[in-house]
Amino acid sequence: MSRAAFLLREALVNLRRNLLVVVGAILAVFISLGLAFGALAVNELVRINTLAWQEGVHIIVFLNDAGRDGVPADAHQALMAEVQTWDEVANAYYIDKTAAYEEYQQIFASDPDMLEILENPTVLPASIRIELSDIDQYQAVEFRLQQHVQLINKISSAAQEIEQISAVSGVLNLLGIGLAIVLGASAVILIANTIRLAIYARRDEVSIMKLVGASNWFIRIPFLLEGLIEGIVGAALAVFAVWVAAQNLAGAGVGIQLINLQIPGTFFLRWGVVFLLFGAAAGVLGSLLGLSRYLREADGARPAGSRRALEPV
Amino acid sequence: MIRLQDVTKVYEGGSVAVRDISLEIPKGEFVFLVGPSGSGKSTLIRLMLREESVTRGSIFVAGKDITTLPSWKVPFLRRSIGTVFQDFKLLPNKTVEENVAFALEVLGRPRSVIGPQVQQVMDLVGLSDKGARYPRQLSGGEQQRVSVARAFVNRPPIMLCDEPTGNLDPATSVGIMKLLDRINRTGTTVVMATHDHAIVDAMQRRVVQLANGSMLRDEVAGRYETAAET
Repeated sequence: MSRAAFLLREALVNLRRNLLVVVGAILAVFISLGLAFGALAVNELVRINTLAWQEGVHIIVFLNDAGRDGVPADAHQALMAEVQTWDEVANAYYIDKTAAYEEYQQIFASDPDMLEILENPTVLPASIRIELSDIDQYQAVEFRLQQHVQLINKISSAAQEIEQISAVSGVLNLLGIGLAIVLGASAVILIANTIRLAIYARRDEVSIMKLVGASNWFIRIPFLLEGLIEGIVGAALAVFAVWVAAQNLAGAGVGIQLINLQIPGTFFLRWGVVFLLFGAAAGVLGSLLGLSRYLREADGARPAGSRRALEPV
Repeated sequence: MIRLQDVTKVYEGGSVAVRDISLEIPKGEFVFLVGPSGSGKSTLIRLMLREESVTRGSIFVAGKDITTLPSWKVPFLRRSIGTVFQDFKLLPNKTVEENVAFALEVLGRPRSVIGPQVQQVMDLVGLSDKGARYPRQLSGGEQQRVSVARAFVNRPPIMLCDEPTGNLDPATSVGIMKLLDRINRTGTTVVMATHDHAIVDAMQRRVVQLANGSMLRDEVAGRYETAAET
C-alpha cells in the first residue's frame, strides 16, 4: 500500500515538476482528440438530419374530390385501403379536406396574407400521405398510383431528393470517420513522442533508479501513471470542448426548422467514455513506447547480434 | 564475496577494456583498483554491477554467476551492492533525505522502517542537520557523503566505489575515506577504483593494479606504486 502511494506520489511530483512538458502532452491529446471528436459530432449531426428526412412522409397523393366529375363517393377509402396492402408502404394515412385546411392554417399561422387568400376552406384537396419502408421503391409505388388517373390530382414525391441527400451523407460519414481515425492515430504518436521527450529529459534519473536496484516496473509505473493522467485529462478536455461547442450550436440553431442541430446527450455519454478510454490507452501506450527502448539500453545488455559479432575477439 | 574468472570485455568496435582478469575478493576486504585512466578500472566496476556484460569469463557475486543472470534479476543484484561514483549521481529534484530514502523506497520498505534507517545513516555520514536541503545546496564533499549514505542505507554486503574522491580536494577526500573505512569495519566488502596516490598509500590496503586492461599486480597492504617504480 505504501509502495503504491509512493509510486503515485512520484507520478504527481513529476507532473508538477515537468509542467511545461506535461502541458504539451495534454495539449497534444486535447487537440487531436478534440478534432477527432468534433469530426464525429458533425458526422452525427449529418446522420440525425438525413435520418429525419428518410423517416418522414415520402409521397403525397392529392386527390380529386369524391362524388364529383365521375369520382365515386367511396373512391378515397377504396384507394386508401388498396395503398395499405402494398408491401413497399410502411405507413399511410388519409388527410381529409378539413384536416388539410387545419394543416394549412398551422403552417401559415404567422402569415396573415396567406391565411386571407384562402377564404374557402373546401378549396384544399384531400390527400393520402405515404411513408415507404424502402425509399428506393418510390418509382414502383408512383407507377401503381398513376393507374387511378381519374381520382388523382397530383403526386408529389421527395424521394429523389432524399436519395441524393443519402448519397452525400454517406460520403460525409466516411470522411468523418476517416478523419477521426487519422486524428486518433496522430494523438497516440504525439503522446508517445512527448513522453519520450519527458523520459529523455530525465534519463539521468532513470539511470540512478536502476543503479539503486529499482526494477523496470518500479521505474515504469510513475511514467505510465503520468501518461495515463495526461491522456485522460486531454481527452476529457476534448470531450468537454466539443460538448460546449455543440450546446452553443444547438442554441444558435433553435430558430432553424429544416435542420436539427441538437445532438442527443447519449451520443456524448457513449462516445465521451470511448474517447476517455482511448485517451487513457493512448497515454499508457505512449509511455510504454517511450520507455521500452530506454530501459533496454540502460540495462547494459547489448542486442544479441552485436554481442555475437564480438565473440571471436 | 566476489570472484572474477578470466574476465574479458571487448567493447563494440573492438577495443579491449579488460583482458583475462582473475581476482578473488573475500568478504570484508578493502581493495583498491589502481591504474591510469583507461586501464579498465571503471569497466571492472561496471561489469560487477552488470551495467555491462562480459565478453568472456564469469563473475561470481555471493556465489552466484552474475554473467548469466536474467535481466529481470539484475535489480536484485544491485540491491546487494552499494555504489558511489565520482559525479555523486544524486537526484537533483529530491532533498538529501529523499535521495537516501529512495534506495529503500525502491525495495518497497514501509515508511516506518525507512524513516529511522535514513536517520541512522545520516548520523553516520554526519549530515543529519542537512536532510531537508537539495543536493545543489551542498558542497561536493557533502554531496559525496549523501551518495555514500544512499549506498549504505540498506546495509549491502558490498560497496563499489568508482573514483569517489575524484572531484574532491584532499582534505575532503580524507573524510570520505574515513567514512568508507568505518563502513568496511562493519564487515562490508569495499572495492574502490582510484588514481589518488595519497589515499592508497595512507590506507595500506590490498592494491590491484591495472594497465591497458590487464592485471599488473595484486598486493596485500600495498602502495599505489611498487617499490621498483618509485
